[in-house]
Amino acid sequence: MDRDDQLAERLRSGDEKALRLAYDRHGAAVLYLAQRLLGNRADAEDVTQLTFVAAWAGRDSFDPQRGTILGWLLGIARRKAIDRMRSAARDDRLVETVRSQVAPAEEAERPERVVDRLVVADELGRLPEEQRRTLELAFFDDLTHPQIAAVTGLPLGTVKSHIRRGLANLRRRWEVDGGTFGSRSAGPLRAL
Amino acid sequence: MEHLDPDRLVLFALSEEAEDAAESGHLARCATCRDELDTLRTVTGLGAETHDLRDLPPPPEQIWQRIEADIAEPVRQQKPSPVRRSRPRWLVPVLAAAAAAIVAVAGTVAVDRFAGRAPAETVTARATLAPLATVPAAAGGTVRVLSDGEMRIGVRNLPLTTGFHEVWLIDPDDLTKMVALGNLPDQGDSVLPVPPGIDMNQYRLVDISDEPHDGDATHSGRSLLRGILTE
Ligand SMILES: [Zn+2]
Repeated sequence: MDRDDQLAERLRSGDEKALRLAYDRHGAAVLYLAQRLLGNRADAEDVTQLTFVAAWAGRDSFDPQRGTILGWLLGIARRKAIDRMRSAARDDRLVETVRSQVAPAEEAERPERVVDRLVVADELGRLPEEQRRTLELAFFDDLTHPQIAAVTGLPLGTVKSHIRRGLANLRRRWEVDGGTFGSRSAGPLRAL
Repeated sequence: MEHLDPDRLVLFALSEEAEDAAESGHLARCATCRDELDTLRTVTGLGAETHDLRDLPPPPEQIWQRIEADIAEPVRQQKPSPVRRSRPRWLVPVLAAAAAAIVAVAGTVAVDRFAGRAPAETVTARATLAPLATVPAAAGGTVRVLSDGEMRIGVRNLPLTTGFHEVWLIDPDDLTKMVALGNLPDQGDSVLPVPPGIDMNQYRLVDISDEPHDGDATHSGRSLLRGILTE
């Protein structure tokens, strides 16, 4: 979290290099979200661009108390993507092709779920190494606690506490930054 | 009422173990434990879904260039014309060198002249030029720096000018530091020499400006395209 605080500090002080760092760190997540929501690459790239430009313009309104930089960026991106979908829907009405455009939108995932996943993925990447590794073995390889102990050579009790604490960390982050709860951190940026 | 052991809830959430009769009885009666288990299930479900997100490709450089061009704009507009003339002292020799180099190749050289040459060139850096917000979105271009010190520039759909289009290398960390490379035809490719001794790691922002024929050698402040050189 320290790195995030420093980045936020630099961003708020108007350091353009901090925006570049934020882009390097979180641009992929923003682009992924936009692509999932919009279903096409060109619009997703536009929304990614708009998101970081809006983040720069609105950097004073970022409040580290309310969430992380990633949560903030994803909140902006979500609104930009929804604006884009709305204006696309307007255009569609004009050219009377609404029906053909509705189908892909229905298959699209709920934005909150995509944001949740990105936030949890980011937190997983920030966990202490052993916590992260044990959770990955449980999530991705579907291993049981004893299997994880065998694979890692860690005592079973340690595996147990890594998993419990790791999950608690993911949960806390999800509650702070996730799409389901995220309307809190979206408040002051609505104008962007 | 004593709640269920948190470690047991974790095992249930991961579907590693199933509840026994007493535990399911408690869950049926206790909303606190039920909510706790629901939340843990959601978090472990999200965790399992992050698998595909581990190897997201790095965000594309060309989107960053568009962001950078957008946020650089206010700085550009802040420069009122009187300030333009007070050029930083260090810049003078570099500009003089650039001017000399331009004179040496008599301005823009059409790329056709090089068409017959052996294609033994190595590209050392390249940039995609994206339009600034005030410029039609169809405008754009590409830049390749070759190992022999030439820069090949292709532009398209530049807005018409009553003056000319000029190519600059700018320090993105200090937009007042810039070097003029030469001017461009409105469409098509051109080749400009990069003055020797320029640090391309520092002057890596390529800028195409609209310059009036006013005899003023400094940047007009009207940038059309920008892009960052990368290897
Ligand atoms: Zn209970």
